[in-house]
Amino acid sequence: MDKLLRDKKAIAFFEAPALIMFTLILFIPIVYAIFISFCDWNALTKPVFVGMKNYADLFSKDAIFRTALKNSIFFALFSLVTQQAVGLLLAVVLSNLRWGKNLYKNIIYLPCVLSSAALGLLFSFLLKPNMGLNQLLAVFGIKGPNWLMSVKGTIPLTMWVIGVVALWIYVGTTMMLYMAGISGIDNSLMEAAYIDGATKSQTFFHVTLPLLKPMMKTTVSLTLIGSLKFFDLVYNMTQGGPNNKTQNLATWLYFEGFAYFKYGYASAISVVLLLLCLLATFIVNKCINTKDFDEV
Amino acid sequence: MKKKLLSLILAGTMAASLMAGCGVSTDTGSGGSSDSAGSDTASTGSSAASEATGDEEEITWAFWDDLNASQDLMTQTYKDTVDRFNETYKGKYHLNVVTTNLEEYDSKVNALVAAGNTPDLLICNPGPNADVYVNSNVVQPINKYLDEDPDWKNSFSGGMFDRITYGDDIYGVPTNFAAALCFYNTELFEKAGITEVPKDMDGFLAACDKLKAAGITPISCSASTAWCLSMIAGYCMNREGVDTKALNSGDMHWTDAKVKAGANDLVTISKYFQDTYLGDSNDDATAHFYNEEAAMLIQGSWVIAQMNGNSDTIEDKCGVFSFPTLDGSNGPMIVKTDNVLMSSTTKYPDACVAFMKMLTDDTAQKATAEKAGKIPVTDVEYDKNAAPKQLSYVSDILATMTDSFGFYNESLASVEAGDTFDNNMVSIVMGEESVDDGCQAIETFYADNVWNK
Repeated sequence: MDKLLRDKKAIAFFEAPALIMFTLILFIPIVYAIFISFCDWNALTKPVFVGMKNYADLFSKDAIFRTALKNSIFFALFSLVTQQAVGLLLAVVLSNLRWGKNLYKNIIYLPCVLSSAALGLLFSFLLKPNMGLNQLLAVFGIKGPNWLMSVKGTIPLTMWVIGVVALWIYVGTTMMLYMAGISGIDNSLMEAAYIDGATKSQTFFHVTLPLLKPMMKTTVSLTLIGSLKFFDLVYNMTQGGPNNKTQNLATWLYFEGFAYFKYGYASAISVVLLLLCLLATFIVNKCINTKDFDEV
Repeated sequence: MKKKLLSLILAGTMAASLMAGCGVSTDTGSGGSSDSAGSDTASTGSSAASEATGDEEEITWAFWDDLNASQDLMTQTYKDTVDRFNETYKGKYHLNVVTTNLEEYDSKVNALVAAGNTPDLLICNPGPNADVYVNSNVVQPINKYLDEDPDWKNSFSGGMFDRITYGDDIYGVPTNFAAALCFYNTELFEKAGITEVPKDMDGFLAACDKLKAAGITPISCSASTAWCLSMIAGYCMNREGVDTKALNSGDMHWTDAKVKAGANDLVTISKYFQDTYLGDSNDDATAHFYNEEAAMLIQGSWVIAQMNGNSDTIEDKCGVFSFPTLDGSNGPMIVKTDNVLMSSTTKYPDACVAFMKMLTDDTAQKATAEKAGKIPVTDVEYDKNAAPKQLSYVSDILATMTDSFGFYNESLASVEAGDTFDNNMVSIVMGEESVDDGCQAIETFYADNVWNK
């Protein structure tokens, strides 16, 4: 096997399918989208090159794009903070459970395996003014707000609601990854810490957490990128409304492309989204240093 | 050797399974057949009698409702026609229906068109989307087929082709005709002491006050489904003298006093909506009316099919009047037709035309009136006693109609312009924008995207 893996032809042979698929499915479409972003194109006629006009319009004229950008960044930060905190907490608690660990793990992970589009529709029903949550609140004499039609404030209530629903759906993935990370930590390190007189919390902060850094890097990257290009919940719960106040970059590019036939403009939004994802990955790589762990 | 062979087989299987996932099909199959790989569309689930044998000319029709699940009587009428077509032309033609729910319909069809997978036939509202399809030659004129069959062409009522005619070319067939009207609950009106339907705006607002005083929700409306609100906005604008053609051409501005007066009228009327109108969808708002929780519903006459399909009692209690004018005169009415357009790339135009003819033949048009309560597009004689009562009220009102205009979001310069209007009307009503700011936002959109192009 070792001999085979040193054979350059064999390496090329095994890499070729992935490389070809990557080129066909990802690289060429990305390059094409970048080209189209410099064009005025409705997908039905030939693209007309317009230079930087789409980008200039995005940042100078399009107020909805600015709202979408703000919402996407909010959503990424909200998801990052909540999913890391709750996901890690759940992972630590469940890892230390003696009984029922698998049951709770499955319950918390369950929303991840359900269709987020279906869950979005479910929550849009539950949060309607005349059913679900508001009916429950009415039993206690509380008049619930308009969960999905509130637009007041820099970040409208509706965006917070979508963020909480997303947390409920995706926190299971973060938890599972952290649990995998925790289970990979050698028990002897913990025992050594206890022998040295460390408390449980000291062990967590000085042993467990540093050793989870590589997993943290993975989960932070996944959460940030996933949140930036988030589409299905927003589309199914609000369709970007009311009056585009809950649009994010993914939904706005969808509307510009598929509803308004402005594929050039939509491609420009997608390029901005791609750059944001790359920037997020770069920042994560810079900020979370796993060098120390690798050298252990 | 064995290992190599096994590796090759496994690699081949993996590649084949990957490629299988790449396929996108618009073929929904028929009967109980399962969807093709990659297809996210619903199948028609037609009766077993209409299942394809594989030898027919297969055509697809993009439609905006689920033919099997929908309670809408018009959708059920369409389903009957599809089944009849597949049965009549068994062995020759077969129709697959690509169904999507109404909210996603235009986006779905646009995506199919952009990907070069235009369905052979598509149902389409008149207005900006149809304009794009026509101007980009996505759909084809049907003059030739109409001229070849004068009986078919002459069967249509006057003016039915108006909104799908571009120059001299007719780009589709209308399948039914609808007008936006005020539906009201006669019992609730009586309970509130309203003896006659309002004709002018003052009378309309006075009736709303009486209903409110009697503890009855005067009007059911949806702001969550923005076009429902914008339909009322369109009427308010029209009654104040706003002209969409002048707005589109730049001869009139969104900051004109007439536009602002229309927006102010909308705000006034919105005070009489149900408490939950901001979060209610179109279906919720309609349900409030047929469940007798609200006294009025301002909607297109297609709602008759939906109301009667969901309630056994509303038909006997439902009256209809036209949206009031400022002075009580007969004002223009919002009207529209549902249209079926034919792809310019269809391989089977004869099959498409055969289905278009079936949609507009006497059987289908009678069912349109008698079962669904919608207005037929042909001069077919139908049994008025069999048709929903509301249809005769609508017909009476249409008989006195002096003029008509299109839905606002279908009459503005583009789909985006229509959405901009809809969204800003919602914002104004919510109080998130003042009338001045909302009108200015639409003005800015037009200045950037319509008038300078």
